[in-house]
Amino acid sequence: MEAVAIQLFDGTIRGLIYVAIALSLTIIFGMLRLVNFAHGAFFAVGAYVALLLAPKIGYYASIPAALIVLAILALLLDRIVLRLFYAKDPTSQILVTFGIALVIQESLRLIFGGTTQTTQMPASLMQSIPLGFISYPAIRLFVAVSIIVLVGVVWWILVGTNYGLIVRAGIRDRTMVALLGGNVTVASRVVLVVGAGIAGLVGALSSPIFGVDPNVGFSFLVPAFVVVVIGGLGSFWGAVIAGIFIGILQGLTTLVMPAASDVVIYLAMALILLVRPQGLMGESELIRQA
Amino acid sequence: MRERVFAEARFLILTALGLAVFPFLFNLVGGYSGLATQILMVGIAATGFNLLLGYAGVLSYGHAMFYGIGGYAAALMVLKFMPTTANLWLTLLFAIVVVAIQALLIGALAIRTYGIYFALITLAFAQMFYFIMFEWRDLTNGDNGLNNIVPPPIGSLSLTAPLPQLNLGPFGDLSQIHYWYPFTAIIVLLVLWFSRFLVASQFGEVLAAIRENEERSEFVGFSPAKYKLAAFVISGMLAGLAGALRALYDGSVAVDTLTIEQSGNFVVYTIIGGVKTLFGPLIGSALVMYLANVVSAKTEAWRLIEGLIFVAVIVFLPGGVVGSFARGSRFDFSRILRLR
Repeated sequence: MEAVAIQLFDGTIRGLIYVAIALSLTIIFGMLRLVNFAHGAFFAVGAYVALLLAPKIGYYASIPAALIVLAILALLLDRIVLRLFYAKDPTSQILVTFGIALVIQESLRLIFGGTTQTTQMPASLMQSIPLGFISYPAIRLFVAVSIIVLVGVVWWILVGTNYGLIVRAGIRDRTMVALLGGNVTVASRVVLVVGAGIAGLVGALSSPIFGVDPNVGFSFLVPAFVVVVIGGLGSFWGAVIAGIFIGILQGLTTLVMPAASDVVIYLAMALILLVRPQGLMGESELIRQA
Repeated sequence: MRERVFAEARFLILTALGLAVFPFLFNLVGGYSGLATQILMVGIAATGFNLLLGYAGVLSYGHAMFYGIGGYAAALMVLKFMPTTANLWLTLLFAIVVVAIQALLIGALAIRTYGIYFALITLAFAQMFYFIMFEWRDLTNGDNGLNNIVPPPIGSLSLTAPLPQLNLGPFGDLSQIHYWYPFTAIIVLLVLWFSRFLVASQFGEVLAAIRENEERSEFVGFSPAKYKLAAFVISGMLAGLAGALRALYDGSVAVDTLTIEQSGNFVVYTIIGGVKTLFGPLIGSALVMYLANVVSAKTEAWRLIEGLIFVAVIVFLPGGVVGSFARGSRFDFSRILRLR
């Protein structure tokens, strides 16, 4: 029973990380029609920021630092390359972001080497917290709570602010928003920068748990893609539900058949595609445009 | 009709000539015939990939799953299924059939989606096969992969035997080349011919129509899903054939043939060489694999340089190296160099 509870918790935390990455991916896609293959690399850069800064300014302060670093990086990338690709076909966009990912990842490998390192965390997070019949690492609870807060903030921005209104409308129909006087271009930039920031923040946040190496981003990016596919492109709740579902599914499979824990998420994706090609909450119209 | 035969003959003879001189010219720039053979093999997969991306306009980000499974199928055939009576043709056929079934099943699921979605789904399925082959240790030896694969001979001819000795001066010696090279070169010639035929056929024209406007081609009465699925399966089979050849040539196959990096390689080779061109993928494979071989011996930064070249090609040479020779492209080399 304890083992089940721990796997449920572990799975949920993995799932929450998938949710955060998938959410930023899906909003960027919705607004810019850009699938960002560099998102995993952004995540990895965030993890390295935490690795380097945690001994100096502390783990907590390194998290917003990662957000800022990634926001600046995204802004630069947008100015230099990405802006050339907004009007192009999705294939070229995937290719150019893949190229950017390659460059970032290899730069990280050259600078920091390929070995896995772990971010220092404060002593208060190293203990276990008793939760009724199990005790659970404080760091994992901290990551979980932080991501829940983050997802809440994103939800609030999307639903409660005027910016969110433009973004939500832009996901449905950019041209119409522009015609009605919404500044789509600025909103798109903001979405890209915030989305990259989220990837970096989550990378920094989770770096004490999963370690830091140049490929760390990819190991979360591909499941996040699966989450986006299952949840439906451009859907907030789709990403949230699918992310947690996939995380828990993975956790529980580890319990029964550890070897299958990585395969099972792709099987789940295949099954869902069979029934609903547009994903759980996706709109088929949006996918056709993709 | 006569012109048609003439054109085909010209194509075959010139391509065969090019393939025949390639390893010798390659020696001059520091390549070696083993690498030339590997380039041709990977070029088959890239050519298949280009059929899908260039002519059907469908981006698969998981072609490593066909390449890798083709390799495993060939290896298992030789090592486990028919260890005493291994036959080269049967082995290759088996690999191609296995991959065709795999591509049919995955394609049937994935083809119902579009563009980006399709890329993500193929990527995810490739990852699934990576983990299956990694974890199915009884069959695949997991991390270590399958080793000591002896390629079955053709009759009494072993493909690993060298060609007869003949000194060719600066071009090296003929005996540096193993029978693997001419064997692979013939397959490449057939693959290129087949892909040329396919693109010019009615099938190819329908694919082009779907690529340009899927809805319209549907209204005219074609079923885009069926055509795209067929292209996906053919493309996968070529990648599977390449993987099988490579496994037999290397004598080993491991899970690195199934990684995202491997899928990305086919994309990189095709784009750098020139998407939507017949020879582009092969030339892209040659360029990148040659550079990788030369540069990675000197600096660890090779993958970074490759990434930068890749981004530069997408930004500045969207037609790739070969495509940029074409009339009317932004970087029309033949015009810049005053070739016409």
